[in-house]
Amino acid sequence: MKKWMWIPLVLIVTFVGDRLMAYLLTNAVEKSEFRYSRLYAGEGKADLVFMGNSRGLNFYQPYIEKVTGKSTLNLSYNAMPEDLGAVLLRDYLDTYGAPEKLVIDATFLDRENAELVREFRVYAQYSERLDSLLKETDSSIYWGTKVAHLTRYGGEVSQRMFYYLTKSDEDWLLDRQISKNMVAEAAHLKPYRNNYTLARIRALSEVVKAYQAAGTDVRFVINPYYPAFQKTIMNLDSLSLDVRKLTGIPVLDYSKSVTGDENFGDYQHLNKQGAEVYLGRMLKDIGL
Amino acid sequence: MVFNSLNFFIFSAVFFPLYFALRGKARLWLCLIGSYVFYGVWDWRFLGLIATSTLIDYYLGLSLEDEAEPVRRKRLLQLSLLANLGFLAFFKYFNFFIESATAGLHGLGYDGSLSTLHIILPVGISFYTFQSMSYSIDVYRKQIPVERDLLRFATFIAFFPQLVAGPIVRASDFLPQFAKDREFEWTRFQVGMGQVLWGFFKKVAIADSLAPFVDQCFADPGKFGGLHLAIGVVFYSFQIYCDFSGYSDIAIGLARIMGFDFPKNFNKPYFSQNFSEFWQRWHISLSGWLRDYLYIPLGGSRGGKLFTWRNLMITMLLGGLWHGAAWVFVLWGFLHGSYQVLGKILGPHWGKLLDAVRTPKFIRVALNISIVYFLTCLAWVYFRAGAPNIPMSEQIPIAHGVIGGIFSGEGWSFGAVINKFIVLKGVLLISMMLLVEIIDERTPMWQMVDQRPAFRVASFASLLWLIALFGVFSASAFIYFQF
Repeated sequence: MKKWMWIPLVLIVTFVGDRLMAYLLTNAVEKSEFRYSRLYAGEGKADLVFMGNSRGLNFYQPYIEKVTGKSTLNLSYNAMPEDLGAVLLRDYLDTYGAPEKLVIDATFLDRENAELVREFRVYAQYSERLDSLLKETDSSIYWGTKVAHLTRYGGEVSQRMFYYLTKSDEDWLLDRQISKNMVAEAAHLKPYRNNYTLARIRALSEVVKAYQAAGTDVRFVINPYYPAFQKTIMNLDSLSLDVRKLTGIPVLDYSKSVTGDENFGDYQHLNKQGAEVYLGRMLKDIGL
Repeated sequence: MVFNSLNFFIFSAVFFPLYFALRGKARLWLCLIGSYVFYGVWDWRFLGLIATSTLIDYYLGLSLEDEAEPVRRKRLLQLSLLANLGFLAFFKYFNFFIESATAGLHGLGYDGSLSTLHIILPVGISFYTFQSMSYSIDVYRKQIPVERDLLRFATFIAFFPQLVAGPIVRASDFLPQFAKDREFEWTRFQVGMGQVLWGFFKKVAIADSLAPFVDQCFADPGKFGGLHLAIGVVFYSFQIYCDFSGYSDIAIGLARIMGFDFPKNFNKPYFSQNFSEFWQRWHISLSGWLRDYLYIPLGGSRGGKLFTWRNLMITMLLGGLWHGAAWVFVLWGFLHGSYQVLGKILGPHWGKLLDAVRTPKFIRVALNISIVYFLTCLAWVYFRAGAPNIPMSEQIPIAHGVIGGIFSGEGWSFGAVINKFIVLKGVLLISMMLLVEIIDERTPMWQMVDQRPAFRVASFASLLWLIALFGVFSASAFIYFQF
């Protein structure tokens, strides 16, 4: 054998292995019970659709389905940025048409998150919008996924997709009680701002209009915060006002609606018990 | 330029074919220009600093060689050390000294404040300064002949594979290798490529995957329970190991492909059974440097126990300060100095105790490794708290926050751990790496890569798949660049 022959062999084996393993993993993506797998595999149709960041996981689906008897799809994800959320919502609308209601936690308008867009590369093969957003956000990752298909499957979103391969993700919620340490420190918290921008609200308002035109009742809410933390947030009122001004939809502010340490996982998240307390009230308010 | 960037792949595609096409001076010029380009991509303004350092040590080296009078020779060496340490003191330690002096004055009741300067730390300054200094010292000691070829000397200082994060290669090891043109050799290419790929796997797949979890723990330790923080510290121990040894592997592998042999810089340090062994396995080029140019000149172990302990402590304190201009690095050095001293005091008693209870060898080894690893992790907490994004005043409170959180007893259930997916990924990747290290201990991987083509193809393809699957491709810099 020629001394250099191993080089093309490595390249061929790497390429063929990459495509074969990626093919097998693609099957897993399409069979998974994870919310975005269902969205893109044609299994995501629901009466009620939810959007938010990790705080959006407080839209606890098993409870909502039990109380309302309606099907749900919660598209929230930890640190979800507006641009990614908008892509997912548009893809939902194109695939399944208008849901009965779309409920958005307005506090998710607070960030950009290129890292999470990269993480969603696993689903870019199913969505032109997501593919374009990935290209815009990080062209080297975008081209990386074209050259080596395995690069799509390494992120945290992929890991969750595997985790929910054979079980429902509807009970995904941070179910713990806020630590004593955090409770003790709550008295010394610094002022906090939600870093929303008008540009993000405007961009989301286009999606909202599309849903409304299709016949969906769109609602904005602010999910509850831990009381001591809520007091440190300086601009929740202006967030509500700006969302109302730019989308025409009033924001239902539940930021102070839940109290008691036993209802919180940390300053920004309810636990399961707290989510049920909150949802019991919110669902009635939006007519469910 | 970082190895894990598109720029470096483009650079390599141009550099390596040209390197093997050229011979003699032309090849050296290519190496020098390539190295300056490699460095200049980060910040071209600091090329002047490397060039100045190079010229100073080159001409002082010539003067040392030509000078026979001992006092003058000593003055010349002092001049070299003054210049090198002067650069280091200004760029790396100026603000640290000012801030510490200000804090000291406040402690004494004085209200005055001294101004700091906005100084950018030149990447890799600690590495090339030490490399350059070792040359002057070795010439002074007449341990190596002076290098009369400026081009060769400049290439030795700026050689891009190890310029910014080592290994610190001694002139006595490196300069003689320039004596003849190195031909392309398949064996070197095969083994070198294997090492480069392994280094990339450690950096891009392991270190960068663990980084977000670690960052989170040290950003606000109060938010997390004990188990979460303990995992964060364990992850950091592997993050820094994979990051730094990954860089060394890439550097040594690239040099090997080019025909140069660099000494090993890491040798499975977390399998050490005592701290003397740890420092023979961790950052070997630095600990060797500190031994030869600091510990031994201080007197080493030639003056009784107390004298040896003093020398060990001074060496480790300065070794800590070498890593960064902050008290947490000094504290880290102090801990390692203490571990070594305590090891010398308690080690024999510990051995006797284990003998007395007839401890089987494997339990003895496991116990020793666990103790060394645990104490190393404890010291890493202070080291990590010295990250550049943490203000100096918050570094020690953060380190104590992490340690306090771990030992508080709160949050020690897996349910209280946030980001379990990163934890699972981290555990999987660390296990893979340790498995390879254990196998390598028995059957050196590099031999198999070289001698068995099927193993080579399978292992290279597997590494490429693993890098594709688990890699983080955001071209993050190596941790040791900051030193």
